[in-house]
Order: sequence, then structure tokens, then C-alpha cells
Amino acid sequence: MLSTLADAGTATEEETRTDVQTDHVPGLADPWVTIVWNDPVNLMTYVSYVFESYFGYPPAKAKKLMLQVHHEGRAVVSSGPRERMEVDVQAMQGYGLWATLQQSGRGAGAPGAEGGAE
Amino acid sequence: MTPFRSTPDGYVARWEAVECHVLARVARDVAELVRAESGLGPDVEVGEGVAFTGVGLVPHDPAVQRLLPDAHRDDPDVAADFRHLTQTDLAAAKVARLEAFADALDPEGDAHDDGELDEQAWAGGAQILVPRDEAQAFAGALTDVRIVLAERLGLEDDAAVELLHDEVIAGVAGEESDDADEPDDADGTGDAEDADDVTDGEQRRYWGGVFVAAGFAQESLVDEMLADLRAQRG
Repeated sequence: MLSTLADAGTATEEETRTDVQTDHVPGLADPWVTIVWNDPVNLMTYVSYVFESYFGYPPAKAKKLMLQVHHEGRAVVSSGPRERMEVDVQAMQGYGLWATLQQSGRGAGAPGAEGGAE
Repeated sequence: MTPFRSTPDGYVARWEAVECHVLARVARDVAELVRAESGLGPDVEVGEGVAFTGVGLVPHDPAVQRLLPDAHRDDPDVAADFRHLTQTDLAAAKVARLEAFADALDPEGDAHDDGELDEQAWAGGAQILVPRDEAQAFAGALTDVRIVLAERLGLEDDAAVELLHDEVIAGVAGEESDDADEPDDADGTGDAEDADDVTDGEQRRYWGGVFVAAGFAQESLVDEMLADLRAQRG
């Protein structure tokens, strides 16, 4: 599992660079992040659909985030000001995904950080 | 139940009468549960364009807690603020789409009453047509139904879901020699009356079957929605 995490992390870095012009990339510079947590119910195809249709992420990026949720238990799916993240969390919860927000810079994006074992 | 297929009018599948009725009834039950747990009264209109603020109730039922979870894991103030801002809207949207889903499967409201269904009107099942602009709500209603069923079935992790799938598929395979929809109900009409008598194992098999069927419907629908979305975006 850990090797999968490392691979996914590298791939996400690469993707991030190519996506810069077309969409907003979650980053530590933003004060808040939206996190989607794994649950045993939601189908992989549905989670991909939500990431593609709501965020407008390209299929490869949506799939990477979906797999990160599935394997690591969670993924940061967007970042920005708190009000913006509240909109995203409300949307994710509306879709039936298990989403929370938190301030970034507290290890939000790092596997094994605070809250990650739950 | 056939998989959903994309057509010019929308997404189309054929469901058996019993599948329409059971899923419509579960969706109406979940809608009532969400109303009660979130403090939305049964008389509150939930249609489009109705805006709410404030929060009636913090849910106690674990399944509704999962539908309307705390939005922050460590900061109760942030979670409470979020709930205050969003819960009533979220709950109303879920109730509205669950009710629309139930009405699509059961337009005459037959599934409101336990049992009694018009055998002739339902012969051969029903064609389910989901227009494209309603597909997201339909898929969302299936998600909410599956989340509540999973909580009731005690499905806490991926392994538990896979085990249930295997059990249900094995059960279905064993039934194929038999024409009856309800293996434990010889005449196929008395299932509602027998509901109180079923053992936990039978309950699990029954509701497990509903969970798996809802997942099958959702997966085939979302596959087609995803294909259309990608085609639109080139």
C-alpha cells in the first residue's frame, strides 16, 4: 500500500504542473482545504463522476484523487478561502460523499497526519 | 433489472415490479427519516427555489449523521457553524430527490401501502427513463438509500461490502432454477405479511439484495453519465 501511495504522490505532482493553467490546484498556500474521506458505500465510478463533473477535473486527475481516497482513506480535493471550501463541502455532502473542511498547513495533505488514522 | 443504457431521451433500464416497489418504499422511508432527524417537518415544502437557514435538529441516527456529517473533525465550532448554514438546505435537497426518485419508480404511489399491488398494471415490470437533467439527482438518491441500508446492515468497511456482495450473488445464483422473485414466499404476494417473521439471516439477505440491486443500478447509470460527460468535454 505504501508503494502505491508514493507512486500516486509522484504522479499527482506531475499532473499539478500541467493543470496550472486550466484549474485551481490544491496547495498549502491556501488557508483551507476540502477533504473527502473513504467510505465503503460510494462506488469508484460515482466518486470519479463527482470529481469530474463538480470540479471539472480531467479524468486522469479525478481518478488519481478517487484512488487516493480509496487507498489512503482521504484526499484533499480543493483548497481556498473558508467560504469557498464551505461551498465545496456542502456540494460533496450533497452528492453523498463524506467531506470535511479544515485549515491547511496542519498536515492536511500528508498521509498519516492528524486525523488520518480514523 | 437491466443496466441503464444511454438513449436520445435519457438513461433507460427495465426494472421488475418488485424492484420498483421495494426501492420506492425504501426511498420514501429514508426521506421521512431525514425529515424527522434534521427537524424538517412533514409539512415543509422542499421544492426548488425554497431557501432555508438555521438548523432544526442535530441528527442522532447514525445513518443520518453519515448523510449530514460534521464538517470539521476537530473543531466543533466550525462544524456547528457549517451545520447552521447548510443542514436544512442539504436535508431538503436530499428529501426532494428521494421523493422524486420514489415517484419515478412508482408514479401511482402503490408502494405507499404494504403489499397490494396491481398485478396487471405491473406485469412485465416497468421501463425506467431517467432524463439527463434528472440523472444526477437520481444517482444521488441511490447513494443516500445505499448509505442508509449500509448502516442498517452494519457494513463498516470495504471487506464487509465485498462479503455481502458475494453472499447475495451466491443467493441469486441458487434462485435461478426457481421462477419466484421471493424464494421464501411461494405465492409471491405475501412478503409484506411475512416481514415480521424473517430471521436476521433472511433480513440480511433481503436488504442485502436491495443494497446490491441499488448499487448495480447506480453503477450502470453513472457509467453512462460519465461517458456522456467526457464526450461533451471532448
